Amino acid sequence: MDALRAEHLEKHYGQGDTLVRALQDVSLRVARGSVVALLGPSGAGKSTLVKALGLVSLPNAGRIWFGDQLVVENGRLLASVQELRRAHLGFVFQRSNLVPFLTARQNVEIACEIGGTPNPKKRALELLDWLEVGHRAASMPDTLSGGEQQRVAIARALANHPKIVLADEPTAALDKVRGRAVMELFRKVAREQDAAVVVVTHDHRTLDIFDDLHEMEDGRLTPTALATVAAH
Amino acid sequence: MNLAYLDVRHRLGRFIGTSLGVALLFAVVLAMAGIYLGLVDDATILVRSVRTNLWVVQQGTRGPFADMSRLDPSIVARVAAMPSVKRARAFTYQVMQREHAGRSLRFALVGLDFPVDRGEALALTHGRPIVQPHGEIIADASLGLAIGDTLHVAREELRVVGLTKQLLASGGDGLIFATLADAQLLAEDTPSDAIRAERERRTERLRATDLGRAQPSLEALTGDPDFRAPALASSPIAAVLVDVEPARADAVMESLAQWPDTSVFTSAEQEQLLLDGVVDKPRKQLALFAVILVVTSSLLIGAVVYMMTLDKTHDIAVLKLMGASPWRLGGLVLQQALAIGVVGYGIAVAIGVQAFPHFPRRVVLTEDTVMGVFALVLTISTVASILGIVHALRVDPARALEG
Repeated sequence: MDALRAEHLEKHYGQGDTLVRALQDVSLRVARGSVVALLGPSGAGKSTLVKALGLVSLPNAGRIWFGDQLVVENGRLLASVQELRRAHLGFVFQRSNLVPFLTARQNVEIACEIGGTPNPKKRALELLDWLEVGHRAASMPDTLSGGEQQRVAIARALANHPKIVLADEPTAALDKVRGRAVMELFRKVAREQDAAVVVVTHDHRTLDIFDDLHEMEDGRLTPTALATVAAH
Repeated sequence: MNLAYLDVRHRLGRFIGTSLGVALLFAVVLAMAGIYLGLVDDATILVRSVRTNLWVVQQGTRGPFADMSRLDPSIVARVAAMPSVKRARAFTYQVMQREHAGRSLRFALVGLDFPVDRGEALALTHGRPIVQPHGEIIADASLGLAIGDTLHVAREELRVVGLTKQLLASGGDGLIFATLADAQLLAEDTPSDAIRAERERRTERLRATDLGRAQPSLEALTGDPDFRAPALASSPIAAVLVDVEPARADAVMESLAQWPDTSVFTSAEQEQLLLDGVVDKPRKQLALFAVILVVTSSLLIGAVVYMMTLDKTHDIAVLKLMGASPWRLGGLVLQQALAIGVVGYGIAVAIGVQAFPHFPRRVVLTEDTVMGVFALVLTISTVASILGIVHALRVDPARALEG
């Protein structure tokens, strides 16, 4: 069953001579429990697609479903964006973006609170343990390593039991070993949390982890075989 | 989870520094309010302390405090003879400055109509009322005098027999109560050379009249220091204090108002005259300062809270992506503004309690003032948070996705 479905998404910036078509007839389906990579050069439209799917910057045209629920149609949001984010979405960013005045546990706990998860403190500790950073629960973000920060950020993204996790270049600030470890976590998230995970990445060394690969170029999305990408 | 508290705890140094700055401003606001109340209390406390119903003063004046009033002492007997009048007392009032024990002593001298009025109505903290017709005074402790101290004024010795606390004139000077005779003696204190010159001028004036030329023996009288010509008026008094039966106060006042040479005020009117006249300008000045300080405090808190919110722009974007409600984000900013205001105010009150008693002017801090300014602080903090709240609500969640 699809956790996320997008059809014929269009996104334009500017007009006339300065018109930029950031998304052109983009369609995408992501099943629950699968990990999908969005590949492509800078400016291809990967982040624009993630913003559209995350309801951060709505497309000008097209439709988006979260599970069976149609949430965007022709640039219009059909439900409360806060409710949709709380119920369906989890975000992981290029940098961990942990709130600097909260401990690791509190960073996850606040997301649980916002998502309306019962017993947020317990849930936060469970997630941190599951991601193997439970021993750093009381640490402030600036005392954590880059890998630990991203693990906490992933725990935070999972706080509200999201059906869709969107990650925008989550390993960009990590070295090879830590980057791979984080990508493997996304696979774990998809399998064990039954979530659909969409990851924007430039890191071709970890592509074996993904179930599907999609390449973007000039705002268009094309399904791509691993062998094709490896050949580039 | 209280994000405002956790953020404040994380940036404790900045929070304390800001609160201290705000506290100093609030302390000045409190001082302004307290000085104003002290001013009002000082201005009216004498009227309340003498405990009378009606004040009879010179016709057409608003004396004896807001305006100069001179009455012939015979009016006391006229008033006392009226039906329903329980007691009539002469009253004098003047501000003086004299040297005492090597320092300048400024005070307001009130004459009590001894033995009718011995100062029993005054709230004495030490000593006793006046019992001798001459040479005894009751002084306010703010003048630095103690029981048994002697004041040398007008070649007289006045001994302190009673002390009051915070009984001040509208100008903030301590009050001294003496018998009417002593007060008039002090008021008419004239240097010896001036007395001699006046005697010579009196002789010259006598010689210039037919009476003086016809009866040269009168010249002996002009040189006699104890002689007072029967045709000359007694020393004037400032007012007559009239105690009446409460039920008949209106009727007595109506009768006194008919007299051609006097005006009459109730004690409440006398207090209002003082507030309208003596205290009005300082009151406006203090109010103006207070308004400037309130605006400054609002701007300071607003600027600090706005800067704190700007610092958190990225975090707010992240929280928005999680689905945080506007209430939670607005509440974060509002709570921090309130925290700065409340902590600043707490420090301000503590500063006030320690420092205000040492101020040269009396600062009166009542529970109502403290609560009233506290309500103002809450309002200031709320208003000051608006800019920060607007910024927080306008943060684009897409900023969380920026690198």
